[in-house]
Amino acid sequence: MAIHFTDVEFEKDVLQSDIPVIVDFWAEWCGPCRMIGASIEELGNDYAGKVKVGKLNVDENPGVTTKYGIRNIPTILFFKGGEVVERHVGAVPKRAIEEKLLKLL
Amino acid sequence: MIDWNDKRLQQFGYLGLRARQVVEGFITGLHKSPFHGFSVEFSEHRLYNTGESTRFIDWKLFARTDKLFIKRFEEETNLRCRLKIDGSESMLFPNDKTQATEQQTKFNFSVFLAAVFMTSFRSQRDAVGLSVVNDGLTLHTTAKSTFIHHQFLMSQLQSHLENVKKTPAPQTNLVEALHEVAERIHRRSMVVIFSDLLDVAHNTDELIDALQHLRHNGNEVILFHTLDKKFEEQFDFDNAPHKFIDLENKGVVKIRPAEVREMYRKNFAKLMSEIRTKSPQYGVEYIEADIAAGLENVLLPFFARRRM
Repeated sequence: MAIHFTDVEFEKDVLQSDIPVIVDFWAEWCGPCRMIGASIEELGNDYAGKVKVGKLNVDENPGVTTKYGIRNIPTILFFKGGEVVERHVGAVPKRAIEEKLLKLL
Repeated sequence: MIDWNDKRLQQFGYLGLRARQVVEGFITGLHKSPFHGFSVEFSEHRLYNTGESTRFIDWKLFARTDKLFIKRFEEETNLRCRLKIDGSESMLFPNDKTQATEQQTKFNFSVFLAAVFMTSFRSQRDAVGLSVVNDGLTLHTTAKSTFIHHQFLMSQLQSHLENVKKTPAPQTNLVEALHEVAERIHRRSMVVIFSDLLDVAHNTDELIDALQHLRHNGNEVILFHTLDKKFEEQFDFDNAPHKFIDLENKGVVKIRPAEVREMYRKNFAKLMSEIRTKSPQYGVEYIEADIAAGLENVLLPFFARRRM
C-alpha cells in the first residue's frame, strides 16, 4: 500500500527516513499518473519494510512540489538519506521503476 | 554455404531485439525514440510556458481545472542498425574443416552472427546496414528496412563467405575503419561490431578511442569479440614443435608451445581484461563470442538480456 505524503509530514516521512523513499508526484486529473499509480501501489506492497513507496498530490501539496521544481507529472523522485539520488519523468513500466528502486538497496 | 532456411537462424527472427538505448528511427515500431512526437502514447503532463504554441495544451483539463498543461507523448520508432564485420586474414583462424560451417573460422562465425541479427531485424521491420572491413571499408551499404535490401545484404554476406579466401585481405586497420564508420553514420544507430580485435592488441586505447567516437555520436555500440578460446586464450596446442604464421603480416615463429604458454596466457589475459574493463566504462556492451561455443550459446543469453 502506497503512503500518501503531504507538505506537513514530508520532512519526517521522507527526509528523515532511515530507509530509501520513492515519491510519485501525481494529480487526479493526470491520465499517465493513473497509469503508473497501480505500479506504485504494487511496489509499495512488494518492498514493504525495505523501501518506503508513496505518492504526493501536487494540487494539495504545492510546497514540496515547488521545492523540488516539479513541472511535469508524473515525476518520481528517489530519496536516500534525505537526498534526491534519482529522478524519472513520465509514465514508465513497473519494471523500469523497480530497476531504479533496486539500485537504492 | 549458409542455409537461410536453417532453423537455427530462423529461431532468432522472432525473438526480437529491443534496443536499450533510445535510437533515432523513422517509422512506428518497437523502439523508443529520442523525440517526443505528438502522435502515439500519452506519457506525461508538463506545465505550459507562456509563449509556447497552444497547439498541444490539454484543453479539457483547462476547462475542468483552470490549469494549463501540455500533453507530451512518447513516440515509438524503428531501430537503425549497422553490422560491421572484420574481414582481416586473422579472422580465417582456425580454419577447422571438421567443424560445422559457422565454426570453421572466426569470420564464418561472425557472418552467421550477423545473419542472425539480420533475421531478427527483418522480423521487426528494422533498418540494417552492413559494413565489411578488409583493406579499408570494402563494403558500406545504407541502412534500409525493405525486404529487397535485406535480401541484398544476405547475398553480400553469402558472397563474402564464399570469396573471403579467394581475395585475401591485406592487414586491416580496424580502428581507422571504426572512425570512418562513425563519420559516415549520420543518424543515431545501433552499431554491432564483430572482430577478433587482434590488430588492436598492441594498443587497446586506440580501439577505445574509436569506440568512443561511435558513442560520442549517440550510437549504441555492441562489440562481439570473436575468438577461438581453446587456441587463442588457452594456447592449447600439443607440445610438438609448431610453426606459427601471422595471418596478417606472414611473420613466422617456430616454437614449442609449452615454452611460451604461460607467458602467452598471461599477456592474452591482460588484453582481455583491458577490453572487458574498458568497454563498459565507455558504454560499450562487450560480448565474448567463442566460436566453439556455437551460435546459440553466444546469442541466447544476449537476446534474453535484451528482452528484459
